[in-house]
Amino acid sequence: MEGNATDPFVLVGANYKTYESAEKKISFWQRIKSMPILSMVILGIIILGCIFAEQVYNHDPTGFYLQNLNQPPNSEFYFGTDSLGRDIYSMIWYGGRVSILIGLLGMAIITVIGVIYGCVSGTANSRVDSIMMRIPELINSIPNLLLILLLTSVMGTQNIVKISFVIGVTGWCGLARIVRSEVRQIRSSEYVLAAQCMGSGFFHIMIKHLIPNFISTIMFVVVSSIGLSISMESTLSFLGLGLPVDVVSWGSMLSLANKALLSNSWWVIIFPGVFLITTLVCVTNIAYYFRKETNKRESYL
Amino acid sequence: MNSKSMLIEKIVKRTLWFLLSMLLLSIVVFYFARLAPGDPLQSYYGDAVESMTSPELDAARERLGLDGPIALQYVKWISNAAQGDFGMSLKYKMPALDVIAPLIGNTLILGGVAYILVFALATILALFCAMHEDTWIDRIICKVGTAAYYIPSFWLGVVLVLIFSINLGWLPSSGAYDIGKSDDLFNRIQHMILPLTVMILSHLWYYAYMIRNKLLDEIRKEYVLLAKSKGCTKSEIVLKHCFRNVAPTIVSIMAISIPHVLSGTFIAEAVFNYPGIGALSVTSAKYHDYNLLMLIVLITGVMVVSSSIIAQFINEAIDPRMKLTEVTAWKETPQTPLS
Repeated sequence: MEGNATDPFVLVGANYKTYESAEKKISFWQRIKSMPILSMVILGIIILGCIFAEQVYNHDPTGFYLQNLNQPPNSEFYFGTDSLGRDIYSMIWYGGRVSILIGLLGMAIITVIGVIYGCVSGTANSRVDSIMMRIPELINSIPNLLLILLLTSVMGTQNIVKISFVIGVTGWCGLARIVRSEVRQIRSSEYVLAAQCMGSGFFHIMIKHLIPNFISTIMFVVVSSIGLSISMESTLSFLGLGLPVDVVSWGSMLSLANKALLSNSWWVIIFPGVFLITTLVCVTNIAYYFRKETNKRESYL
Repeated sequence: MNSKSMLIEKIVKRTLWFLLSMLLLSIVVFYFARLAPGDPLQSYYGDAVESMTSPELDAARERLGLDGPIALQYVKWISNAAQGDFGMSLKYKMPALDVIAPLIGNTLILGGVAYILVFALATILALFCAMHEDTWIDRIICKVGTAAYYIPSFWLGVVLVLIFSINLGWLPSSGAYDIGKSDDLFNRIQHMILPLTVMILSHLWYYAYMIRNKLLDEIRKEYVLLAKSKGCTKSEIVLKHCFRNVAPTIVSIMAISIPHVLSGTFIAEAVFNYPGIGALSVTSAKYHDYNLLMLIVLITGVMVVSSSIIAQFINEAIDPRMKLTEVTAWKETPQTPLS
């Protein structure tokens, strides 16, 4: 029971799971250090600000202050007001909720479709697999934006769920391809075969055996798909195909950018954009943390 | 079978696959478009619909191909499309092909120039980064590049317009040329600077990073050590040896990237009101003009597929390893007595 930490063969007893080697404790602090702390803190502040928007904002984000159209930033309206007389500072916190929600919903849809599709395709026989892999190829051969335009146009008026659905449905192909190639590598492992022999179903194998094996590989794609969804929503809203102006999000705030250009009110464009980009960069930095660095050999150059 | 006929077979296969996929796509889009909310008649005739009698409405439906069950409508549409009639644009009230024809050139020019510039600059940047791997300048380029890639391109475009056309007044903010100056090359170039800047900034790093990583893999191969011990300089090794080996990969990346760059072109066009099929696709999506959208999808698909076939040709020309003859030569090797 009493293990020596330097001994490679440690005797463990029934309660071996409670045993912690000395190395593990050090690596915990090292892990904290290697994390993108700055990005996490900034992202945390933005998310908390959006959750507690009621406490943070000083004006009604949906209210129209008609005496104060296009005010530059001042002590009452910290970030100015837009051409409809709405307070940008309050709208940023309030609209962040919608943007982040769309990011998370988009990610969830992308992940669910991508993982299930990739697992089915990876475990299927080669003929089904080759047909199944043709579909992402087909979707990818048309510019993503054009597909989204088609879908949004067919959908009619947008709301949060619809727009996340459109983004998710067009964005899962890359993930499915990665999952498939990972699954193909592990699908004939002994433990998968053993589970199959014992009669476990597809979803049991997927959740218990396949997903734990490739989760570290796909984490990067999954996390960065939050950023992609947020940015796609804002692009669509800017083009006038996303959320209507009365649903406040960072994207729909930027849809007034063209009007703001005419009156040269830079604050309408800059402030929501800065929040949007800060969020995107933070999310990406965190995503990079999940990407496992491949063992790099010494350069010969 | 010689390599030429195999190549032709490959192209035929690809084209057939493309036709099949377009057929599938058109069925799906057609079906959804007809189920979609918003009456196409309404967008064609506007408020005049309300004052029309029902026989008039039926006649209008028939004229626009909106009568009968969806399957029948589709068959009608596809048989017309095969003869080059893609239906009427509901918004512009003229044949869809006539709406698009004058705009394709603009898009191809903008997209093509951006495409070439993006890859030329990406290759140069990647070579530079690979030669200075892990020095401060490489790290700075990596950080700035990643941040630049995640700036939404429409926002970048709006900010550039704000700075350079509204406050400084150096460059025009929209369109492809000033009125009456469509033949003035300088005027056109002036209008292209901002869209091109947006496209380059938002695509450059994505591809530069890919090429940089390929180059970094390449300089870890043993022949680099040999070249170094031979006395080649750093730039000689990278430019003459490594770059040659990476070139086919770059062409492959270029082939895959076409839909991505086209997406970027569409956004840039929409931001700068550049008269191309991208800006058109956004307006037609807004007005539920499905006939026009379908045609844009088909044309874009043709562009993507044909350019990927061209990329394959180029790849085979610059890299003999890609040739199919290699495979047949290997098969013809004398079999060992064991088998």
